[in-house]
Amino acid sequence: MSTRRRVLALARKDWHELARNPQAIAPLIVVPLLLVVLLPAGVILFGANPALTSTVTGLQSFLDHLPEGMLPAGLDPSQTIVYAVVVYFLAPLFLVIPVMVASVTAASSFVGEKERRTVEGLLYTPLTDRELVFGKVLAAMLPAVGIAWASFLVYAVLVNVLGGPLLGGIFFPTWTWAIIVVLLVPLVAFLATALIVMVSGRATTMQGAQGIAVLVVLPVVAIVVGQATGLLLFDVGIALAAAAVLALLDLAVFGFVVRSVSRERIVTRL
Amino acid sequence: MAAETRTAGAADVLRADGLAKRYGDRDAVADLTLAVGTGRAFGLLGPNGAGKTTSVRLLTGLLPASAGRVELFGETLGPGNASRLRARVGVQTDTELYATLSARENLRIWGDLFDVDRRRLPGRIDEVLEMLGLASRADSLVGEFSKGMRQKLAVARAVLHEPELLFLDEPTADLDPEAAADLVDYLRSLIRAGGTTVVLCTHQLHGLEALCDDLGILVDGRLVATGPVDDLLAARWPTPGFRLEVGGDPAAAARTIAAAGGAPVLESDGALTVALPTEDRVPALVAALVAAGVPVHAVVPLRPTITDYYFATVDDAAARREEARA
Repeated sequence: MSTRRRVLALARKDWHELARNPQAIAPLIVVPLLLVVLLPAGVILFGANPALTSTVTGLQSFLDHLPEGMLPAGLDPSQTIVYAVVVYFLAPLFLVIPVMVASVTAASSFVGEKERRTVEGLLYTPLTDRELVFGKVLAAMLPAVGIAWASFLVYAVLVNVLGGPLLGGIFFPTWTWAIIVVLLVPLVAFLATALIVMVSGRATTMQGAQGIAVLVVLPVVAIVVGQATGLLLFDVGIALAAAAVLALLDLAVFGFVVRSVSRERIVTRL
Repeated sequence: MAAETRTAGAADVLRADGLAKRYGDRDAVADLTLAVGTGRAFGLLGPNGAGKTTSVRLLTGLLPASAGRVELFGETLGPGNASRLRARVGVQTDTELYATLSARENLRIWGDLFDVDRRRLPGRIDEVLEMLGLASRADSLVGEFSKGMRQKLAVARAVLHEPELLFLDEPTADLDPEAAADLVDYLRSLIRAGGTTVVLCTHQLHGLEALCDDLGILVDGRLVATGPVDDLLAARWPTPGFRLEVGGDPAAAARTIAAAGGAPVLESDGALTVALPTEDRVPALVAALVAAGVPVHAVVPLRPTITDYYFATVDDAAARREEARA
């Protein structure tokens, strides 16, 4: 009971601080929303234009290698582009968004407290290393997932409103998409956040934490995100299996991060 | 090996045996041995850089010791029980509070972290804010507070959960004299009425010395003196001293005192100080002066203070260090 209370108290504290920092919040909300509005709107409105497929890197190759049976029957070329891009090509975006948001919020988790000289007080409380890491991960991960889900909602409404007339009604999301958003987004966010929290615990400046996060965390997450399109091309079962593997990876990484906590390093390397 | 503080008749809340912290070839703290009994106030004094903050970090398990052990509430402190034992400890150091949160929000978080009863927490927050004179600013952001107000809030945060053991690191450092006196009064009530055990780390002694039952003086990471305050003062100044304010020729007065068996010291303001084996000798000395025609305006007993003891001990340590270098 008190473990849950301590973890939530720590996370709530970070949320309150984030909520009172409009300069930090604005880009976290605006950038994802722009991505999920501009990209699909451009594809749907200009999908028939060959210039689009030649402009977006990798899109033509993706369309050329799309396996048989992945598209509903009877779509004309412009419908095919819109459907393929909206349903398959942009899927990794929703795994990138939480990572992007978490990389900002999690990078400051420990090093931000170090810079503001608040961290030592926290270490004198009954928080265990596990609670400390979990509270910090939760504090950075939940906004990241929330923003990703909100972006997904906007994306879903937008593509159906704009693309529905072209494709003959509501065509999004598919079941595999639902699994990606409901399961994979939190799992990827957790993985990225835990790794960045670890980096933050060892960094001495915020810039250092963000720099190292890019070097250490993003390649790992990029591998996971890179598989997203492939997952969509399979089926629900494969996506569930991927979620299970990612959940195990999350547990292993979390355990590793908890073991790597060094209170001495946190208070003495300021 | 440093001498150990003993507080007879009281169970030890805190014990340290041979505690050390080494960074490379530098001893931040070496061979720290002390014991603090329930309801006692232990003053850990020392100049800047003496190792006070490192000692607090070691005694609370925040830093792993290079050698030695710490016992809190009768249990050896280790990774397995540190969280549980820290729930019974309050610590105020010079760390910052959360500037974008209000005083009340800062305390609410601490109440949750220390698992203060949810129904009692709002009332308890009001109570500590009131006691420390911050009630009218409860909902102001801490970023708007003066240094002194932050200092008081840091103390409020440390005492919120009514800890059995309270570490205070320079608690009056940023306070004006009136606020410092108020805080000292509050701490006195906490110790005397609440039975809270306090470890007080400071190099600013003014006003705090009245709180301390026991003393430890750290110099260069080593405890150079420790024990109950009265015992330390009595050991250092076994004979009581007196200041005599006399009229006429002070030199003549000094000769009279010397003839009566005293060893007077003429001070720059013309007064004389003299050490006597017992207070009983004072009336005879005054009578001898009066008989010699020396007007005696005042006899003031000189009671050595912790401040006197601190400076004398630190000076001794510096002299020993110079000797060793030579």
